Amino acid sequence: MKGIFSVLVENKDGVLSQIAGLFSRRGFNIDSLAVGETDKHDISSMTIVSTADQRTIDQIEKHLNKKMDVIKVRRLEEAKAVSLEMMLIKVSYTAQTRSSLIELCSVMGAKIMHISAKSIMIEIHNTPDVVGEFLELLKSFGILEVQRTGTISMAKG
Amino acid sequence: MNGAQAMVECLKAEGITRIFGIPGVAIAPFYEALYENPQIEHVLVRQEQAAGHAASGYARITRRPAVCVTSSGPGATNLITALATANADSIPLIAITGQVDSSLLGHDVFQEADMRGATESFVKYSYLVKNVNDIPRVFKEAFHIASTGRMGPVLIDIPCDVQRMELSKAFRYPEEVKIRGYKPSVMGNGQQLTKVIAAINRSKRPLICAGGGVILGNGEEVVRAFCEKNSIPLVSTMMGIGTVAKAHPLYFGMLGNNGKPYANKAVANADLLMIVGARVADRAVPKPEKLERRLTVIHIDIDSAEIGKMLGPTIPLVGDIRHIFDALLEADIHTDTSEWLEELEEFKHTTVDHRVFSDRLVNPMTLVQTLSEKMDDDAVYVADVGQNQLWSADNYVMKNGRFLTTGGMGTMGYSIPAAIGAKMADPERQVVAVCGDGAFQMSMFELATIAVSKAAVKILVLRNEYLGLVREHQEKVYEGHYSGVRLYSYPHFDKLAQAYDMEYFHADSNDTLDAELDRFLACPNAAIMVCDVDSANNTK
Ligand SMILES: Cc1ncc(C[n+]2csc(CCOP(=O)(O)OP(=O)(O)O)c2C)c(N)n1
Ligand SMILES: [Mg+2]
Repeated sequence: MKGIFSVLVENKDGVLSQIAGLFSRRGFNIDSLAVGETDKHDISSMTIVSTADQRTIDQIEKHLNKKMDVIKVRRLEEAKAVSLEMMLIKVSYTAQTRSSLIELCSVMGAKIMHISAKSIMIEIHNTPDVVGEFLELLKSFGILEVQRTGTISMAKG
Repeated sequence: MNGAQAMVECLKAEGITRIFGIPGVAIAPFYEALYENPQIEHVLVRQEQAAGHAASGYARITRRPAVCVTSSGPGATNLITALATANADSIPLIAITGQVDSSLLGHDVFQEADMRGATESFVKYSYLVKNVNDIPRVFKEAFHIASTGRMGPVLIDIPCDVQRMELSKAFRYPEEVKIRGYKPSVMGNGQQLTKVIAAINRSKRPLICAGGGVILGNGEEVVRAFCEKNSIPLVSTMMGIGTVAKAHPLYFGMLGNNGKPYANKAVANADLLMIVGARVADRAVPKPEKLERRLTVIHIDIDSAEIGKMLGPTIPLVGDIRHIFDALLEADIHTDTSEWLEELEEFKHTTVDHRVFSDRLVNPMTLVQTLSEKMDDDAVYVADVGQNQLWSADNYVMKNGRFLTTGGMGTMGYSIPAAIGAKMADPERQVVAVCGDGAFQMSMFELATIAVSKAAVKILVLRNEYLGLVREHQEKVYEGHYSGVRLYSYPHFDKLAQAYDMEYFHADSNDTLDAELDRFLACPNAAIMVCDVDSANNTK
C-alpha cells in the first residue's frame, strides 16, 4: 500500500538528514520526499510517500513520531487528500514530432517553458499519477532531463 | 560566567557528583571549570569507551542518567561503541564531547569528527551547541530526554570556543523543558487496559515475559506483586533477569535460544503471553511470527515503536510500566491458574537439559552457581559477552541483587568498566565482573582505574584460552575449522594483578574452586580470580 505522511518538523540543521537516515537505516522505502518552510519560520513541512505493507507503514509512523524534532505526523488517505507534484522535463524534437508534442502538452495541461533548436522544456503540475503518465507518454520523443519535486499533500476539510 | 562554568553549574543542578572521562585540548575549558569545582569528582579512565561503560554501570545502579566526557576527534570517536551499547540497552547517559572551534566546523581541521553525524543512529538525541547561552536549556533537555520515555544516551557536542565564551545573561537553570515534538506516553490507554484485563481473565494459561524494561522502569516490585496476587507465572529475557529471585515459585527461567528449555516450553504452551518491557529480540524469540498464530499476545512497552516491530501483537499497551501495573494490580482478575502452574512445575522437573560440561578443570555451570550463591544477597553481578555470558545468564542464582549485562549490542569488554561504575555508585555493595579471557583483554587497561580509585571491584576471568563463543560457532558451522580464535594462556594474570597491586586467586579444578571463591569474595580489596575452563565446553 501507499503511505502518505504529512510531517511537521523543527526547521533546524540536521533534521532532514535524520529523517532520511531513519528511512535508509530501517530499510523503509521512500517514493518521494518534499520539504519546505511553513508560515512559521521555525517549522518545516515534509510530505513523505512510501510504498510498503501495512505493518511497515505503521512502523514508519511510529518511528517518525519517536523523533524528537518531529512535531506532528499525519497519515493522509489518498481519497481524502489533495496530492500534487510538479515536473520539469526536457525532450528532444524534430520537425516531424514538434506539432504532436505541442498538442500532447495542451491536452495534458502542460506548459512549454522554453524552446531551443533541438529541445523543448515542459512544466506540468498535476496529481502524481498524471505526472507519471505524462512522463511515460513523452518517452517516445526522447527525454533529455527530468526534475520532479516529489509529492506534496494536504488533507481535505 | 563562561560556557564551561555553565556546564559545570548544569551538572550540579542535576545533582551530578561524579563523571567519567578523559580530557583533551578541545574540552580543556570544561576541565578548568571542574578544577574550580571539586564537588564534582572526575574519574579518569584509561580509554574513552570505558568512560561510557562505567557511566552505564553507574546509571544502572543509581537509576539516574550518568555523565561521560571526552575530547574531540579520536577521544570522541572512541566513545561511540559505548554509546551504541547504551542505546541498544536503553541506558540513560549524557555524553559530553569537546569539539573544534565553531568557526572551524566542517573544515576537517585537526581532531575534528562530526559526532552528531557519526552517532545519529546510536543516541536518543544529540546537540551541537553553537551559542553559549543555549547551554542551560540544552543540558536541561538532555537530562530530561535521557531519563524519560524509553531511556537512552544523549550527546552534547560543544565547540571549544563556546566553552570559553562568556554568557551574555545571568546563568539560570531552567525548571521546565519545552520540547514540542517529545511527549512520551506514560499512562496506559484506558480502553487498551480494559482489553488486557479481559484477555487475562479469558486465559487459562497466562505467562508474563519480563524484559529489561521492567528493571529500567523500576517495575520489579509491582510486577512481582501482580504475579503473586493473581498467581501468574513469569519467564524473563536476559535483560529481565532480576525481576524476581531465581527461587521464586512463579519464576520459570530465562527464555530464548540460550535459555532454559522449560522456559521455552512454557512459552510454547501458554495461551496468553504478556510481553513486558522486552523487545522480543531475535535471540529471545527466534521466530516471532510463529507465536502470533497460536496465542494471544499482549505487548506492554514505553516505546510504541517496539510494539509490532517484530511481531504483530493482539493487544498493544503503551506506557510506563509502573503506572500500568499499578492499574493492573487494582483490577479484578479472577483467572484460575492452579492447573497451569502444576503443569509448569512438571515441565521444570521433567525437561531434561542435554548439555553436559567437562569436569576437567573448572565446570563453568558449577562455577556460576557456586559464585552467585556465595555472593551477598544484594550483590551486583556484571556479565561480559561470550560463552561465559550465556553460562552466567543460565546459571546465575538471583537473590536480591542486580544482573548487569549488555544484551542488545553484546559488546565485549563491557563488564570491567561497568563494574567500576556500579561499585562507585554503591561502594558498600559487592560487585563482581565475570568475563572471558578475550573480553578481559579488551578492557584490562582499566585495572589502573581500579588501582587508583581503590574501587574494590572483583574480576573473575573464565580462561578457556579461546574466543570461546566464536570457537563454538566454528566447531558447529565450519566443521571445526578454527580460524583466528586461539588466545593461548596469555597474559600471566598473576603478574598483571601484581602490577596493579591487586590480589590474585586461581582455581584449576572443581576441588579447589570452593575454597578459592571464598577467599576471593572475602578479600576486602580489588581482586582478580582466574578459573581455568576446558575449551571443549559449549553453551549448547
Ligand atoms: C567488541 C566485540 N568484538 C567482537 C565480538 C564477537 N564475539 C562475540 S563472543 C566473542 C568471544 C569472546 O571470547 P571471551 O571473552 O574469551 O569469552 P568466551 O566466549 O571464551 O567465554 C567474540 C569475539 C563482540 N561480541 N564484541
Ligand atoms: Mg575465552
